Amino acid sequence: MTPHEIMVTLMVIGVCGSLMLGFPVSFTLAGASMIFGLIGYFFDVFSLSFFGVLPNRIFGVMTNEVLIAVPLFVFMGVMLERSKVAEELLDTMGALFGRMSGGLGISVCVVGALLAASTGIVGATVVTMGLLSLPTMLRRGYNPQLATGVIAASGTLGQIIPPSIVLVVLGDQISNAHQEAQRSLGNWSPDPVSVGDLFAGALIPGLVLVGLYALYTGVVCAVKPSMGPAIPREELTDGEGGSLFNRVLHALVAPAVLIVAVLGSILVGIATPTEAAAVGAMGATLLGGHRLAPDKGLPIYVGVASIVALLVLVGNFDLRVARDVISGVEWAAIWAAAIACVGATWGVLVCLMRVYKDGTLREVNHQTIRISAMVFGIVIGAQLFSLVFRGFGGDDIVHDILVGLPGGTVGAVFVVMLVMFILGFFLDFIEITFVVVPIVAPILLKMDLDPVWLGIMIAVNLQTSFLTPPFGFALFYLRGVAPPEVTTGMIYKGIIPFVAIQVGMLVILAVFPGMATWLPKVIFGS
Amino acid sequence: MRALASLARGIDAINESIGRVIAWLALGMVLIQVVVVIMRYVFGLSVLTMQESIWYMHSIVFLVAAGYTLLHNGHVRVDILYGNVGPIAKAKIDLFGVIFILLPLCVMIWWVSWPYVAAAWAVREGSVEVSGIQGVYLLKSCMLIFAGGLAIQGVSLAIKCWFTLAGIDGGLAGDDGEQEHGL
Repeated sequence: MTPHEIMVTLMVIGVCGSLMLGFPVSFTLAGASMIFGLIGYFFDVFSLSFFGVLPNRIFGVMTNEVLIAVPLFVFMGVMLERSKVAEELLDTMGALFGRMSGGLGISVCVVGALLAASTGIVGATVVTMGLLSLPTMLRRGYNPQLATGVIAASGTLGQIIPPSIVLVVLGDQISNAHQEAQRSLGNWSPDPVSVGDLFAGALIPGLVLVGLYALYTGVVCAVKPSMGPAIPREELTDGEGGSLFNRVLHALVAPAVLIVAVLGSILVGIATPTEAAAVGAMGATLLGGHRLAPDKGLPIYVGVASIVALLVLVGNFDLRVARDVISGVEWAAIWAAAIACVGATWGVLVCLMRVYKDGTLREVNHQTIRISAMVFGIVIGAQLFSLVFRGFGGDDIVHDILVGLPGGTVGAVFVVMLVMFILGFFLDFIEITFVVVPIVAPILLKMDLDPVWLGIMIAVNLQTSFLTPPFGFALFYLRGVAPPEVTTGMIYKGIIPFVAIQVGMLVILAVFPGMATWLPKVIFGS
Repeated sequence: MRALASLARGIDAINESIGRVIAWLALGMVLIQVVVVIMRYVFGLSVLTMQESIWYMHSIVFLVAAGYTLLHNGHVRVDILYGNVGPIAKAKIDLFGVIFILLPLCVMIWWVSWPYVAAAWAVREGSVEVSGIQGVYLLKSCMLIFAGGLAIQGVSLAIKCWFTLAGIDGGLAGDDGEQEHGL
């Protein structure tokens, strides 16, 4: 082994080892890398000038337009969590599916998918479903392993079903890697890969996963009804608030509107994820304000009606004010749009006042900056890791290993997926995205793989990292809220079939890459 | 002893009040971005200053609030070991981490950022666009605040850990204990 290879090996082992100590990931990642850089400098295999690049890298993160979507999506998710959308959905879906055996489990899958498409925050989803559904399922005689497994797995759907934060950060990394790979192949103007491409690509695999979870739950309970008994029909009262149909409709309105507004505008290609995330955050605020005082709905209705009016006006008239010739009708439409803006502002301000007085706004703001600082702390740590790693020539070493693998491209993809899967037991998606993807993705993409396909494969793999003990976010959160009679062992055992489904999904994607690449081609052409 | 306790309390108070102010930028980002969207897609207008102000708020949030987040134990940890040990072992891990990882790291970031920030100040670096915000040198200075805010919060954390290890009750509130529900 050359001194460089020894240092790279020691560094990877050393950084992973020190992460296990439990000191915050962001600082450990950066600090341990720095220490290895200094050791390398001492042995003359590392130049300290690599450290000097760090401020430039940090500034790159600060001005990265794609990553601004992260805090905005967090704001939206936390706000939505507070507005009790999840509670209402679980309630009505449970009533809808409850009379089948395994029905409560299937309703958890469906609610998980709906929440995933509207917020995408794993922690919030798992905690809410764990608090609300788990006690009900246990009381109804569900097998605790099945109940915890389905809740944890469905809670992580937020990371694969767009809009998702995983796909935002991954899209950024894949796009850079794609550019780098194409440039080294001599193509100086490659077709860019956007976050929108990944969103479109993830949609079908995400829905297939929901289907597989529900199918598994249904089949297990059909074969062995004691795993998830049906709720007798007479116990499923219609409850207050009208018929079941009306309640389902009411519960679905909010997430449906947000999904159409946020995901729709991105997939149609009008809005960037950042723009859509801000609009979604505003929508979540309107919803939160409405839930706090449902009987005083006027400002919200005016606000929503104004937004609809704006959309209609934009669709039918040219409202651009910075033009030389504007007809009388257009002026009228512009004034109407301005009035609609006033109406929308009123609705939003009333809702903001309500969530402020209630203390929700303060909570949401604080959660948003903490999660943002946590995520970007890791991003900065990963920058330093990658600088030192490159300083030791680590990327060349990884390149040689991957290219030299038997089985060519397939072998290289297999090994990368396996490594990510194993890392997922110990690390979570942010570290893997920012540390591993920049190293391996350019090498893989040079082998003429479809960047969207590779991105979706990685995304499904990273989603699994939430489910694999000992360091699986979803399992932590569930452990935190599960009643004491549910042991950690039960949670670990319960998740095994769902991790197997994830691996199955990776195999399906590998065999049918069209699942990921078809929709982006249809939507965005190229 | 009492001096150390009040030092830790003072640091906590600084980062707490910074965090409370910065938290409003989360709402600010949402509102300004929505206004930008409406102006752009409805009226065909774009004001570069507003677009750039979102970068500023975003950067300030994650750089300046890093210390505040550490105060609230919001930086995610690998819990395999840390989640299963008592308060004494946790204090040992954190004390070790602050002294051998966090503080050297902050020194290094400060050391490499200083010339970078100083170069920006020397020319009062502004936006690359004429109509943009002419404050890039201020924005870049946030890197120093990042290192500084984390370093002082690290000192406070170290004092608390040491008190825990020495069995002294300095009247210091521990961190929130519970990890954030993260993503």
